[in-house]
Amino acid sequence: MRLKTFLGFVAPSAIAMILLIAVPLVGVVYLSLHSSHVATELKEVKTTVPLFAGKTREVTRLVPQAKLGDDGKPVVVWEYTGGAEITRAAQLPELEATLTKDRGSASLPRIVADMYDEVTNYDFWSALEFTLVYTFVTTPFVVGIGFLLALAINRATEPLRGSLIFATLLPMIITPVVSALSIYWLFLDNAVVSSLLEQMGFGKLYFLQSALTVRTIIIAFGIWQAVPFAFILLYAGLKTVPQDAVEAARVDGANRWQTVRAVTIPHLMPLFVVIVLIHMMDAYRVFEPVLVFSSSVFANSLQYLIYAVLALQDNIHKAASYAVLTVVGVVILLLPILRRTWREQKALR
Amino acid sequence: MRRAPLWLNGASVLGVGVWFILAVFPFFWMFLISFRAPVDAFSTPPHLFAPMSLHNFYDLWVADGFWRYAFNTVVVTVFTVAISLTFGCLAAYALSRYPGSLGFWLLTAALIFRAMPHVVLLTAYKPAFFELGLWSRYETLIMVYVAINQPFTIWMLRSFFMNIPRELDEAALVDGCTRLQAFRMVIMPVMWPGVLTAGLFSFLLAYNDYMIASQLMNGDMATMTAALGNYLGQSRHMDKLMLGIAGAVSISVPLIVLVLVFQKNIVSGMISGAVKG
Repeated sequence: MRLKTFLGFVAPSAIAMILLIAVPLVGVVYLSLHSSHVATELKEVKTTVPLFAGKTREVTRLVPQAKLGDDGKPVVVWEYTGGAEITRAAQLPELEATLTKDRGSASLPRIVADMYDEVTNYDFWSALEFTLVYTFVTTPFVVGIGFLLALAINRATEPLRGSLIFATLLPMIITPVVSALSIYWLFLDNAVVSSLLEQMGFGKLYFLQSALTVRTIIIAFGIWQAVPFAFILLYAGLKTVPQDAVEAARVDGANRWQTVRAVTIPHLMPLFVVIVLIHMMDAYRVFEPVLVFSSSVFANSLQYLIYAVLALQDNIHKAASYAVLTVVGVVILLLPILRRTWREQKALR
Repeated sequence: MRRAPLWLNGASVLGVGVWFILAVFPFFWMFLISFRAPVDAFSTPPHLFAPMSLHNFYDLWVADGFWRYAFNTVVVTVFTVAISLTFGCLAAYALSRYPGSLGFWLLTAALIFRAMPHVVLLTAYKPAFFELGLWSRYETLIMVYVAINQPFTIWMLRSFFMNIPRELDEAALVDGCTRLQAFRMVIMPVMWPGVLTAGLFSFLLAYNDYMIASQLMNGDMATMTAALGNYLGQSRHMDKLMLGIAGAVSISVPLIVLVLVFQKNIVSGMISGAVKG
């Protein structure tokens, strides 16, 4: 295919991505390096103050008011602030103070625990903390449960498989806000889980009132929602395991577990890598459970932090600063995949 | 292969059974209580059977005007899928046939774009669309979804096009077709399974998105998913909570039908999107 034809074919897609993804990304960097405010000026305002017996007095005061441009709209002043917005968003001065504070003769674990506590009081760092906890705790469970499920359903009798796969797809396909809500509604104070446990004599449990239970539920939700993806890929992968290698291992006296470990897992290794990478990318963007559980106090995430700054505070420069920091994390996560693509595309030539 | 020992069979049946219940129960329960009055939906102890009515759905769809959001969702998803597929097929076909390094750079850029958290883009859209007067319009939301969809769509479709032998289009070119004719008349007819699968995933992205729609669309222009935000939170008004549950059920029904009909395509799409792409 010639270059000219190639360019013609990719143009619509490339232009859409440039205009609505690449340019906005540059825009976000620009926003994070600037601050803006509505220009104000002091204006003389005359008011008439009533005195007594119908007499009045004129008072002139200086009142700050928004400056209006020629078009009648408020004038917005943009200022280049360098890294100031990002420094403020990441609360770097506070962070430095926490890390260098003199802590006397406390023991080392104590100091680390204190620092951890204080650092996670800062918006950005607490969001980063739970995002990373979520990412790294869910990943092994997603891969492990997905693999066991693939092994088990692979053994299920043919007529059952279809409906098992159907049920398995549900947590992944259903709108994330809705699936998070369906879990949330199970754990309301008077909902089915709490009242069943109360019936069974566990006393009244308030799942949504403590950091530990909220975090646990959100992480369990994350695992529940991502297992189907791992399962589908591994289930398809199991069909490609060379049966003669399995037979050979069995003939050599390996038991089931040894066969799985020596033949199946090495064969599926590339799949495990893909699942881990894609899941980590998705987990890093966790948003819906934090929104639905309104858990930002107990468990915040980077996406939700930015969303809240945008939607509630309407502060685009602060949101953009958080966004820039978030993108840096994405790029770090992506490096291994980029290397793989490079090798693949080279093989095409 | 030798027969599995009893304990292994038992353990896998138990494991699969537990997973089956975990996967289905939250939705099952949500469906069940959506037909109830608040007293029965959140009773202690919970009941499996209780009087059922369509009251919540009537209130939501008719009294609260949920049909408007459903209409918005239809408009937005139909156009998003159509435009995404048109753009995506053209680009993916070219990427599967062009050996130069420009293709690599485009795919790499698409990969980085695909990993971008949507809120990062939203941060730029919000002030820009406001300034440009593009706020809260169907076209805006559709084009945003199309663009966000492109990376995934071209990666997935490219893996389908790679499976179509090059001899097919080369034969057409020899016979005097232009590239575009070869693409339209020879390649596309054998691509339908791939197009269907990519279309399903474009649909899911547009249908499932909460974040962008809730920020870019005002009031009556919201999609169903974004409109669900009106009913979020542990509301003290149980009636409102019940409407939220009915809304969540309304949103799930089309998806469940979709999975029932297209289960095979969804599975094959996930595999080709992740593994080959």
